[in-house]
Amino acid sequence: MKASGNNQEPANAPWDPVFLDSRREALVILLLWVVALLWAVPYCYLNGFPETFVEEEFSTVWGVPSWLFWGIAVPWLLADVFTLWFCFFYMKDGSLGEEASVDSEELA
Amino acid sequence: MSLSSSFNISFLAEAGGVSPALFTFLAYTAVVFLLAVIANYLRKDGNFLREYFLGNRRLGVWAFALTFAATSASGGSFTGFPSKIYSHGWIMGLWIGSYIIFPICTMGFIGKRLNQVARRSGAITVPDVIRDRFRSASFGLLAVALIVFFMSFNLIAQFKAGSMMLKTLLTGVGVFESGVTFLRDSPAAHPDPAYLLCLFGFGLAVIAYTTYGGFQAVVWTDVMQGIVMVAGVIIMLPLALYLVGKEAPEGVGSLEYATSRMVDMSPPRRGVAVFRSSDPKGNSTPLGEGSWIQIPGSDEGAEPRLFKVIPKQALEERLRERGEPWIAVLEIISPGDRRQVVENQGDRVRSDFILGDLELQGYAYGAEDGRKGVYVTGPGPSPSSDAGFLPLSLVISFFFMWAISGSGQPASMVRLMAFNNTVTLRRSIFTVAVYYSLIYFPLVIIFCCARVLMPGMDAESDRIMPAMAVFLTENVGAGWLAGLLIAAPFAAVMSTVDSFLLMISSGLVRDIYQRNMNPEASERRLKRLSYLFTLLVGGAALLGAVHPPQFLQDIIVYTGSGLAACFLAPVVYAIYWPRSNVEGCMAGMLGGFAAHLSMYVGGHFANGSFFRPYRLMDFDPIIVGLLVSFLAGYLVTLRTPPPPEDLVRKYFYKPEASTGA
Repeated sequence: MKASGNNQEPANAPWDPVFLDSRREALVILLLWVVALLWAVPYCYLNGFPETFVEEEFSTVWGVPSWLFWGIAVPWLLADVFTLWFCFFYMKDGSLGEEASVDSEELA
Repeated sequence: MSLSSSFNISFLAEAGGVSPALFTFLAYTAVVFLLAVIANYLRKDGNFLREYFLGNRRLGVWAFALTFAATSASGGSFTGFPSKIYSHGWIMGLWIGSYIIFPICTMGFIGKRLNQVARRSGAITVPDVIRDRFRSASFGLLAVALIVFFMSFNLIAQFKAGSMMLKTLLTGVGVFESGVTFLRDSPAAHPDPAYLLCLFGFGLAVIAYTTYGGFQAVVWTDVMQGIVMVAGVIIMLPLALYLVGKEAPEGVGSLEYATSRMVDMSPPRRGVAVFRSSDPKGNSTPLGEGSWIQIPGSDEGAEPRLFKVIPKQALEERLRERGEPWIAVLEIISPGDRRQVVENQGDRVRSDFILGDLELQGYAYGAEDGRKGVYVTGPGPSPSSDAGFLPLSLVISFFFMWAISGSGQPASMVRLMAFNNTVTLRRSIFTVAVYYSLIYFPLVIIFCCARVLMPGMDAESDRIMPAMAVFLTENVGAGWLAGLLIAAPFAAVMSTVDSFLLMISSGLVRDIYQRNMNPEASERRLKRLSYLFTLLVGGAALLGAVHPPQFLQDIIVYTGSGLAACFLAPVVYAIYWPRSNVEGCMAGMLGGFAAHLSMYVGGHFANGSFFRPYRLMDFDPIIVGLLVSFLAGYLVTLRTPPPPEDLVRKYFYKPEASTGA
């Protein structure tokens, strides 16, 4: 999906910066989703789905089962920190443009 | 106030002398109407449709963040979700797992670019964007058709959900019961007059304020509803921990104690039974729904057995086969739960009956004798599936379901088209991230505590939210507070219904009438039609819900995942891939629709019900739908001609480059 890979356009096409920024940010978000999946699901499955439950081996952190604490609660907090960084230090601002007239030629 | 003396769900009608539920509903409706009137009054002159359906793209941080959050958090967040936590325990923390990244995925993934494309085309609705981006009227119409199809069903289901919730809350309130009695005696009596009354009360209120106030009213009420929702959770959490901690041994934390109690829990058994009065003269008061009965254990020294009479709807078929005097019952298995019930109910536990006949059924997963830990580990107890509630394949499916399919909901996309600038978007994503963190994990904690504090609600777990609200507030001597907590589910379901209503009417007025039938229509005519269609669509959904479809939750799941399977891939391609063309994106939309539908049709043949879909390799239909949609879109695009150059310039180049070329 690379813009430059669009074979009908010249290589030095004046792409809209909001488009390029948004696409890069979307890829980072997709990567974040994959990381979250690869952390949460295997961790919880390997630690929270015992074949037979052994009470002595079961532990909690602040009352939350430890498999859920490290598999979901901590990543949740980290995801919020990541979101903070993403929103305030990574995501670019840009002009979204003026409102096109709805009476334009393409209305009908 | 001790636990035993205070709790009774029927006290809902009596707390503080005034029903908090009724008061809440009326006060709530009044404020919502006030907001609608203000929104209507403040509506600026200019383009009516853009204002009525999109708020003129003026939403700032709080309005945008809270309307997005409140619309995404449907009524299910405060009814179905707590009910599931109560029924399955801590595993629900994993079920909701992808909410850790839900806000950044659903708002950040397409938000900025979709807003830009919508501005460039002057689009007001999602079909508008699709139609203009590809310059294809037929693609736009296909999008409208799918939105109207899915959302109409969903709207009916949401109306039913709202009415059922209201009915639960108002049962036992004097004025309400009088109305029900009046309807029951009327010539054309509905089988469930209480539901009918709630449907009209709830439905007419939502239709009226949405029609009158349009998008601005919906946004403003969403903001209020969003605040009510988070306030409800923030108040409930410490109350739940405080109450559960009262019984904890010295040095053991509240939640730690709750979890240790859950370790010992076994799922209850459900079935039918015959009880006979132990009074030789048979003078015992009859057993009603909700009655608790204790009978001695069968062996000497064995603990007494404890049963609860549950609503007959839970086992209607078996009761019909057996006839009188069989009743539906639930047997509490865990000793800790039995003690808790006796403590909560005190003298209300009946021991003037003996057990006649009994036919019980245990859970398909988690009910083995002596088994521990089923409520604190995966896959969680399940009444119907021997693989448990959440096997690995479903864990993965739900990770897709929330974060990915949440990005593909047209109701959310419209909101992404409505914010005013990128600063608002950035701040809102973070605001919603904090907002959801304050709601969803705390809800898991609260309703795990509910499992400990209020055993025996398994057959009526849909009522756990209001029941818990009353239980918590009365036990800390603040019954009046229940009203505020109960407002949270109202808020959630109202904010979803109103936005769906506008989605459908905007599709009809803007996408079908204005853009296909009468592009020259005057502002005055469009204004009238917008009011009329919003009113008509709402009215039709309300009538559809008078005799509502049976599979409420299933319809909501089907339509929600179906919309994502149809819309996510085409919209992602449309805004991020210059090479995408109308053929490819239409193929993606139709492919997603067909693949998703085929899993449900397959379920009809393989599992005997449309709403028990076929799970390819054990995965949910949403995964199949999304994969087919993205794949079909990609392959067909590459095998068909590139889009017109001027379209690519218009939507992907800098403005000066696109016009100057």
